[in-house]
Amino acid sequence: MPRWISNEPGEEAAMLESLGIASLDELFRDIPKKARIGRLGIGGGREEPDVVREVDRLLDRNRPLTKFATFLGGRISHRYIPAAVDAIVSRSEFYTAYTPYQPEASQGMLRTLFEFQSLWVELTGLDLANASLYDGATAGGEALLFCRRIHEGHRFLVPASLPWEERSVLSNYASGPGLRVEEVPYDPRTGNLDLEFVRKAIAAKDVFGVLADVPNGFGHLDEGVLDLKSMLGDVPLVVSADPLSLSVLEPPGAYGADVVIGEGQGFGASPSFGGPLLGLFACRREHSRQAPGRIVGSTVDLEGRPACTLTLQTREQHIRRSRAMSNICTNESLMALAFVVYASTVGPRGLAALQSSLAEKARTLASALGGIDGLQAPRFDAPYLGEFTIELTHGTTAGFLDRLRRRRILGGHALADPRPGAPKEAERILVAATDAVGEKEIQKYAAAAKAWAAAGGRA
Amino acid sequence: MTFRQARWDEPDLWDLAPAPDPGPAPAIPGVPERFRRKETLRWPELSEIEVVRHYTRLSQMNFGIDTSAYPLGSCTMKYNPKVSELLARRAGAASLHPYQPEATVQGALELTWRLERILSKVTGLPEVSLQPAAGAHGEYAALLMVRAYFRDRGELDRRTEVLLPDTAHGTNPASASMAGFTTREIPSKDGCVNLAELQSAVSDRTACFMLTNPNTAGLFESDILDIAETVHAAGGLLYYDGANLNAILGHTHPGRMGFDVAHLNLHKTFATPHGGGGPGAGVLAAGEKLAPYLPVPRVVKTGRRFRLDYDRPMSIGKIKTAYGNFGLDVRAYVYALSHGEEGLKHVARRAVLNSNYLAARLGRSLPRPFRALVKHEFLLSGTPLKERGVRTLDLAKRLLDEGVHAPTIYFPALVEEALMVEMPETESKRELDHYAEAFERAINDTAENLHAAPRSLAVRRVDEVRAAREPILSWKDQRSAPAKVETP
Repeated sequence: MPRWISNEPGEEAAMLESLGIASLDELFRDIPKKARIGRLGIGGGREEPDVVREVDRLLDRNRPLTKFATFLGGRISHRYIPAAVDAIVSRSEFYTAYTPYQPEASQGMLRTLFEFQSLWVELTGLDLANASLYDGATAGGEALLFCRRIHEGHRFLVPASLPWEERSVLSNYASGPGLRVEEVPYDPRTGNLDLEFVRKAIAAKDVFGVLADVPNGFGHLDEGVLDLKSMLGDVPLVVSADPLSLSVLEPPGAYGADVVIGEGQGFGASPSFGGPLLGLFACRREHSRQAPGRIVGSTVDLEGRPACTLTLQTREQHIRRSRAMSNICTNESLMALAFVVYASTVGPRGLAALQSSLAEKARTLASALGGIDGLQAPRFDAPYLGEFTIELTHGTTAGFLDRLRRRRILGGHALADPRPGAPKEAERILVAATDAVGEKEIQKYAAAAKAWAAAGGRA
Repeated sequence: MTFRQARWDEPDLWDLAPAPDPGPAPAIPGVPERFRRKETLRWPELSEIEVVRHYTRLSQMNFGIDTSAYPLGSCTMKYNPKVSELLARRAGAASLHPYQPEATVQGALELTWRLERILSKVTGLPEVSLQPAAGAHGEYAALLMVRAYFRDRGELDRRTEVLLPDTAHGTNPASASMAGFTTREIPSKDGCVNLAELQSAVSDRTACFMLTNPNTAGLFESDILDIAETVHAAGGLLYYDGANLNAILGHTHPGRMGFDVAHLNLHKTFATPHGGGGPGAGVLAAGEKLAPYLPVPRVVKTGRRFRLDYDRPMSIGKIKTAYGNFGLDVRAYVYALSHGEEGLKHVARRAVLNSNYLAARLGRSLPRPFRALVKHEFLLSGTPLKERGVRTLDLAKRLLDEGVHAPTIYFPALVEEALMVEMPETESKRELDHYAEAFERAINDTAENLHAAPRSLAVRRVDEVRAAREPILSWKDQRSAPAKVETP
């Protein structure tokens, strides 16, 4: 039995005696006999050294990203985390705290969240941010419901290039209130949104929101997004933005976004096989009482000294119950701490320099892959930052990626929806320049791709 | 013991150093000029030590489980084992991308699979998914599954109502309503579900009844088998909110009680840290009716290999990116493995012993509604304090001055001036006695001192009304708002 429970001799006996009962089992007499169970069948407990051995045995069967030349990206990033970030996030005053219900006892986390909200406001050009949601995809779901609260209609438009997981999450969030998620087709050459489709949909008057992602699901920048709001009028525009890209790109608030969401894991958190992640959400001031999630505000204490607290709580489930803006209770506060510590350690110019350097690596990779038989890199004729899409004209993404893996390269991930019965899609791979790769790894990638081509696209 | 929290006059980050000159951000070749940021991000340029000191100081103005007892009811604030932190930070756990080829993440898939098997046995429900990021997220996903189930049976047009007791966590009605159901509260009797009221409320409109057992009054719903029969006889499903599972580990489980679907909070029962508000992990467990609707992918074992299975045609699809909060799954697995069968059962026994012991002691100071035998948590009512012009809120603030955290207050609403206390199994008798003494000192203090509390923390009582009336929600607001500091 672990030492996490006190087992001082006589302790439990003294407690039982003070309660006037003879055994621990008497404490469970309110569970009817028919509802009781026998053994669970999960085996006995283990001592700490044994547990460490057993869990390490499992973890050692994984091949971590550091063992490869890694070009995996999408919403989840493999990026160096300064040791200072981990040092702060590992402070147990932060990580062993609960939601700051008692503000006087929790100024550390509250002020951190206030700084986090401020940072997302500066990055997006909007007015207010919440204290985090689960991940970028669920932030999209919350944004969808938010748009419906501030605008009439039944149709929510999203790019057909949006990652399939996000489309699926959005469909789920739309299903409760009976709303429809509709895909806007893209130009086959550039991957850009079909603006004519958007225009017609808006004219039909039943659209309550439009989502566009920057960069888009193919990793590219669609200049049309900058003009989208002018065609939407009062229909809300949601921009899903990569936080690092916002160090060099115009804040979406400046081109009319009403909501900006994003995935924040890349700022200071490990990929951890996909979680915990960090959902980012910002909106305009006039919609503050429609926003989902916890929000921290700055106020004063009894002596007039600055202090922070959870605020605008009448929006929330513990007060408003079935009429709450969202069911969010637990969020991703610790990841929000990592986000703001990461950005502050790297600094505003450092973030822009990192994005510039990733973009340069992506360009180098694109030119190294250019002209290889059987693949098109980049597939789309549109600007990009640190990621782009390649398309195989023969062979399969699985075969291509497998060949690379055997050369210790994680060459990106297939974009197709893996569910049987999903519409057949082209053989496309999203490739990301990460800060863990340099010229050598890029040339290695190109060499492996050439070998794949020379083998006629066979694995 | 005299308690003093650190009281740094720590400026906001942006008051420590200036932001860079607001010239345009660097141009990226190929990116249209229109897309380029016209003004560099406004954020301070700090040296690493400045950042480290700032957040170290802030951390010193924060309560955590590692600094003090944290008896928030229904939050199960137990010790977060350090060995779990160590293992979750291994490269073999932290440095894994969810889109890596399956062959390179066999250990992660096996750990997931093993944890799912354990949780299946703990819940008595055959199929488990670790995908939800938090308890409320699990509730929501489960209700989407309920929805899909009735849609496939052609009953969705009719079964639009979710029933829940008036003691339910606020997330229950909020999740139900997000999933497109209307909600209806069943009044309690003596702190438990009034079976007669439930019997008259169920109908062919009932989609499901959501129940926490033990409930938020800390009482085990002893009528549970009749409740299950009532709901099922009406064609409805029974949903288990696992927030309070800690009290019944190894004694009973949702499957045996007749529940069709459950969510668990790994950040409560399985000791993963709550991170100052999150992350959590909100495991879903489903019986035969709902299992086909669980989110994809599922982890399956084929021979000696583990793989992600997307071939579940009835699945609701995805509810978040990737497969769940894996970092927390590692910690929960460490916890389950360490305790094992007997250990988990002992967790429940000791949590319930702690709760009853402290309830008996604190019950000398304030009235306890409902029956005496409780499970993992108990309620007190602060109404007698009102004679002295003191409220539960004042008592909570005064407790902070003792260096211990306050209980959950003003919930559930059926008890006036409620305090909801939960001291999980990791607190020793010494700590419980210490808490009781602090509580007695606090309650016996003068009204004046109670109103003035707290005095020993980084800040005095925070003006929450002003925060809501004149919202200042960011640095941007601070820049445009008048000076925030005034002398009273």
